Amino acid sequence: MKVAFPHMGNAYIPLRALVETLGAEAVVPERPNRVTLENGSRYAPEFVCLPFKITLGDCINALEKGADTLAMVCGMWACRFGYYARVQHLILRDLGYEFDSLLVGREDPRVIWEMFRPVVGRGAGAARKVAGALAMLRVKAGAVEELECLARKVRPRERAAGSTDALMDSYLGKLDEASSLCRVRELRKEMREALQSLPLREENGLIRVRIVGELYVLLEPSLNFDLVKRLGGYFGVEAQPVLSTYRWLLSPLWLDPLLHLSSSRARRLTRSYLPYALGGEEHMTITGTLDAFKDGYDGVIHAYPLTCMPENICRTILPHISSRMDLPLLNLCFDEHTSTVGTITRLEAFLDMLRSRRELANRATGAGKATGGREAF
Amino acid sequence: MRIGLPRALMFYRYYPFLKAFLEECGCEVYPSPPTNLNILGMGTDVCVEDICVAVKVLFGHVCHLEGKVDAVLIPRLVSVEKRGYDTFTCPKLIAAPDMIRYTFPHLPALLEFTVDVAKAPWWWGCIRLGRRLDVPLRRMARAYPAALREQSRYKGLLRKGILPAEALDRMENGDAHALPSYLSPGDITVAVVGHPYLLGDSLINKRLVHWLDICGARVLGSSMLGDEVIEAEASRLSPLSWSYERELLAAASHFLNRCDVDGVIYLTSFGCGPDSLVTEMVRRELRPSGNNVLMELVLDEHSAESGMRTRVEAFVDMLRYQQGKPSCAGRAS
Repeated sequence: MKVAFPHMGNAYIPLRALVETLGAEAVVPERPNRVTLENGSRYAPEFVCLPFKITLGDCINALEKGADTLAMVCGMWACRFGYYARVQHLILRDLGYEFDSLLVGREDPRVIWEMFRPVVGRGAGAARKVAGALAMLRVKAGAVEELECLARKVRPRERAAGSTDALMDSYLGKLDEASSLCRVRELRKEMREALQSLPLREENGLIRVRIVGELYVLLEPSLNFDLVKRLGGYFGVEAQPVLSTYRWLLSPLWLDPLLHLSSSRARRLTRSYLPYALGGEEHMTITGTLDAFKDGYDGVIHAYPLTCMPENICRTILPHISSRMDLPLLNLCFDEHTSTVGTITRLEAFLDMLRSRRELANRATGAGKATGGREAF
Repeated sequence: MRIGLPRALMFYRYYPFLKAFLEECGCEVYPSPPTNLNILGMGTDVCVEDICVAVKVLFGHVCHLEGKVDAVLIPRLVSVEKRGYDTFTCPKLIAAPDMIRYTFPHLPALLEFTVDVAKAPWWWGCIRLGRRLDVPLRRMARAYPAALREQSRYKGLLRKGILPAEALDRMENGDAHALPSYLSPGDITVAVVGHPYLLGDSLINKRLVHWLDICGARVLGSSMLGDEVIEAEASRLSPLSWSYERELLAAASHFLNRCDVDGVIYLTSFGCGPDSLVTEMVRRELRPSGNNVLMELVLDEHSAESGMRTRVEAFVDMLRYQQGKPSCAGRAS
């Protein structure tokens, strides 16, 4: 059994651990690149959202690499995401590929269990294997999350350009290879120390931006032109996305109750803007923007794929929040024709504006100290 | 109180119901005029760029109503049927009043008519709307059956094959005159499957039905299918939680299997979220083959009438050629 799953940021590390601990083989497609996107958009419907095209390209890549089972989350929500697997697998079968569908979410858990039974085995050993696999998933997801969080903090402050990314890449590789819980914990400690001991620049009022928007665009660096890294390394700006792989992987499995508390808080806060759920991440987008103001961020970047339904609706609401709170907002819409240069130019203009706002605010208060959005209000 | 109803989206499904209900409750109903270029232009200006043209048209109609009425009524359709699984309409229909509220801060008053059948029955939405208008409960109780009667009269007209815009016109101006010419039998029958707001709005669909009629084809619309046909067809297909798209998928399947239909046109608007996948399901799950010809037409605010006419003529010609009938070249004026 060779299980493959599409890429989403660094989700492949915990997912590979989950599949391999269960005893199956994991096929990880190449990182999404031009070819992936071209393959995906060739066979995908014309105006479907971009994540569909990229994950379709990933599936083709994985099948070429010999995968025989394609895993995908699916469900019946108002957002299109729930139907990705249904349509993608139709397209792939029409292209002549043969594979089993592992549809997590819609299918009866027993069906999934039956698929894994040959590799997992029976009895107490099987139970131990499943528990071990879930523990691996959680620990690796936690480690990746911590690494990403630390890197986001350190990167804009690093003295030698690229030192954070070099460290991060090496630790991601090590985490992917780690095969025991103890080893992951060791690595986690090691990388924490390594990142914290990087030589840093003197901090003088770093610009901080919040990134809100659609999950896949936020988390997949090949789609958003490495937004977080670019903002941190190239522009020297601290960028914090509201969503994370960790959150996405663990909240449906109930492995971290804190995630549920923050989700239900987000739903509660969003209710005055959008009383009904739309099936996407609209609650995190709205709450992320509201919180960005409270947490003193300088601006908000709203990133979403072309024709994304929930985020388009948020887009009509965000300017209202932004002007009421005097919080600058940049909308970035991604599709297969979006260019790196165009995106960078827009980011540059936005960040220039944030910097001059900061300067004006400083001049007005007469203090050389950094001020956030809150003082400006 | 003068209440404006924008002629877009759910107008083509529930206008007779809402009109009768509001009028019985003592309000004056002011529907916006049929979409014109001015309205479309205003909508495109104020709306987010990559949303479907039908929503842009809604924004245009609200622009038009602003200042002419005391309140604007926007239906919010969350779920319209009860099933074993969760059902929804499109997210844009669920959030339509919210989008309008935050785009038009100076709107006099925004009334919502919320339908969430999964949680509360239809009349609950009416009661909430009536409360907002300070209508006594007794009056609402009288208005509700009257509204249902109007709605079923409208459905009856649709069942005859009359397309939404014309059926609405007949509701207002009487049903006496003869049936429209696109219903008279021709040598070719074309079924048009699409949301009522695309079928009904001749500015968005660039007079598709008119061009088909000129080519001498008989036109069947997906709006003419009764619930029992849809249900029977949909129960054979894999489930879909978008109620309206489930209807369209079933309608497409029904028409593709009918031997008296020569070709099916699936009408969608660019950027329509559910339709982007449902068209793919129509193509790959229903597998039109043999004498069932399927054409997808994607509409947006840049579509042009001449383009539509050319495609329709080519389609009808192709159907005739396939069956060895003379082409429509000489016929079209």
